[in-house]
Amino acid sequence: MQPVDQEKAVQARPRPASVASVRNLRVYFQSKRGMVHAVDGVSFDIYDGETLGLVGETGCGKSVTGRSFLKLLPVPPGKIASGSIQFKPHATCRNCDGNGCPSCEGTGRQSAANSRGRSNEKGIRDSVDAEIVELLEIGREEMRRIRGDRIAMIFQDPGKALNPTLPISEQLSEVFLLHRTSELLEAAGLPASTGGALRRFASQEQRFGDSLLMALPPNRAFRNRLVGALNKMVIEALGDTQVPNPAKLMARYPHELSGGMKQRVMIAQALACNPDILIADEPTTALDVTVEARILELIKELQKKRRTSVLYISHDLSLVRRICDRVAVMYAGKVVEIGSTDAIFRDPRHPYTRGLISAVPSAGARRGELAAIRGTVPELVDPAPTCRFAGRCPFEADSCRRFEPELKPVSNGHAVACFIDSAAPSGRQPTFQSAAV
Amino acid sequence: MQLRDYILRRVIILPILILGVSIIVFVLTRVGGSPIGIYLSHEMTPDEVAQIEARFNLDQPVWVQYIYWARGIFQGDFGWSGVAAAPVTDVFPNKLAATMELAIASGLVAVFLGISLGTYAGARRNRLPDHATRIVAVSGASLPQFWFGILLLIVFWANLGLAPIGRSDASIWSSISHPTGIYTVDAILAGSISAFWDAIWHLILPALTLGYGATAIIARMMRSSLVEELQQDYVDAARAKGLAERIVLRRHARRNALVPTVTVIGLTFGFLLQGTITVEIIFRWPGLGRWMADSVLRGDQATLMTYVLFTSVLFLLVNLVVDVIYAYLDRRVTLGK
Repeated sequence: MQPVDQEKAVQARPRPASVASVRNLRVYFQSKRGMVHAVDGVSFDIYDGETLGLVGETGCGKSVTGRSFLKLLPVPPGKIASGSIQFKPHATCRNCDGNGCPSCEGTGRQSAANSRGRSNEKGIRDSVDAEIVELLEIGREEMRRIRGDRIAMIFQDPGKALNPTLPISEQLSEVFLLHRTSELLEAAGLPASTGGALRRFASQEQRFGDSLLMALPPNRAFRNRLVGALNKMVIEALGDTQVPNPAKLMARYPHELSGGMKQRVMIAQALACNPDILIADEPTTALDVTVEARILELIKELQKKRRTSVLYISHDLSLVRRICDRVAVMYAGKVVEIGSTDAIFRDPRHPYTRGLISAVPSAGARRGELAAIRGTVPELVDPAPTCRFAGRCPFEADSCRRFEPELKPVSNGHAVACFIDSAAPSGRQPTFQSAAV
Repeated sequence: MQLRDYILRRVIILPILILGVSIIVFVLTRVGGSPIGIYLSHEMTPDEVAQIEARFNLDQPVWVQYIYWARGIFQGDFGWSGVAAAPVTDVFPNKLAATMELAIASGLVAVFLGISLGTYAGARRNRLPDHATRIVAVSGASLPQFWFGILLLIVFWANLGLAPIGRSDASIWSSISHPTGIYTVDAILAGSISAFWDAIWHLILPALTLGYGATAIIARMMRSSLVEELQQDYVDAARAKGLAERIVLRRHARRNALVPTVTVIGLTFGFLLQGTITVEIIFRWPGLGRWMADSVLRGDQATLMTYVLFTSVLFLLVNLVVDVIYAYLDRRVTLGK
């Protein structure tokens, strides 16, 4: 499979800078019946500041794809078999040093296209002198530095994703202690070069006996100042998510909050360090519809303010249509169609996308009429090299059962993996007219 | 509700519980018959027997007898131990010290070994350390103490001659004073290294025998609850924040996994006390357990009742401590309304 087809399509128009390029990603899970190809050759880009929707049915590999960015797969049995995820972190804006100025639209960050390399991370540089980090190859320590700082994640069920036995403040402050140690020391009026027990306190690496050292007079005052600075950071982060009375919320435990509040806390935690990419894994699925709308607004607003790109994983097409700039449709471990939201919904080219869109009930539809795609998602144990949708596709022809379609561009930035738009090597071709019986 | 208030309230309720326990203990013991047997000999005439009965108020109704017994306890009189041929109060402290030394030593072994083995295995699920720990745990839970203890004795005492039996070496122990009755502590207070080693040396085998089963139970519990916690979303969320695996384990998963484990540790304490009976008999350890076993066989009711009353009170206190530890570990626990 050619991984760069989609790039060709993009070349035609001024190319937006991408913050992450996934190329030919394959993630396999060892099961008793064989290798499950959960993600099987997925390629896409996330552009700077955009929201990319990743849609598909349960079990199509969209969550696994999202988690691969942070290497958060259960290992074993999961294994990233091949592929690459190249990540281009933002640099702080050269004009204002991160404080926000007109040239960076107040975000304090440079767009990925002309960013300079960050000195504290290892990586190679590409032609535009932006640093590139190969997420699948970096070591555990480097990955840890990226997690929560440059790439953050929101989980599906905020009730489960917060530690039930720690108060909100402690869970949120962990992010700052991990990634903002120097800023924390600075805010507490200490030199950034502070070492010893104070630094260990500010980076959550306390050793045995440190708590005693911190309780003694010389350090005690500094500790209180550090705690004060930390609390200020936490309150600010919570305040950004528009929770009422953030200072009061800090001492609460997750079970004392409503679902929407918990998700706001999660968002505050994820966006605390201004990540370049936010992976949102169905963040509103567990919430009420009314709360959902407000959470989505919040994500949109914060994203704009911080130049964060969002990978929005969802099975909800109407929601994706509302909030995403571009959409990638996944089916059985593959991206079958990718393009701008507009193009995908105006002119869906893949039979699966068409099925999905017509399966969304609309207000105009008559009672009792729900369109469904017949059949179920195929098992992904050692799949044969055919179109994965063959067997469920109303338009399939015999070439679909013999060859595997690749993602080919059909128009600007719109690519489809189906023989309807790009001829198969041989055999009868499917067309939209030839609906199978 | 404040933790302090909670403890205070529990302590206030304690006497009421103890009163209830004492009634149950008395009634249950009396079901086994009159305690007169321990005071009698074959040559006594029925008249003399009646005299003794009257002297110990055994001719009164049972509830009056209970009041006499309870009054005695308040005055520090727990009765006469026929087995020890001395008042119960004279013998009890020394025997208690011996048993406590054994129980605490094995309890410490069980808690530390159990939690660390369980954590080690749980964090490395289905890998070699997990399987190795499983073997230790299953054997610990299924080997009967009397068999395991005798096995250790045969190997380390009878064959290899590495370990001693009994509680101490008489020549070493007559040389130092015993203010606490706990020999390891006495040795430290006396500043005698040889006496300390002697105490430890005598303690190892019985403590191992007694603690093995509890170690197994705690390790299994710790492992399974840690495995369960590690599958929770919040663990992945903690990793997504960038926390090191070590901190994810310590600060997030292990702390939550300890909550069910602490319950088990509280229950294990009873398991340990029960175990002291066999272990003390096997290793000739002069503690409560052995005294108790003799008392049961010879119908020494005063000793029996004291022992049962004592263990009940101990249980109540341990439960209180466990509840307080809960509140510390899981700060969501609201203490009363």
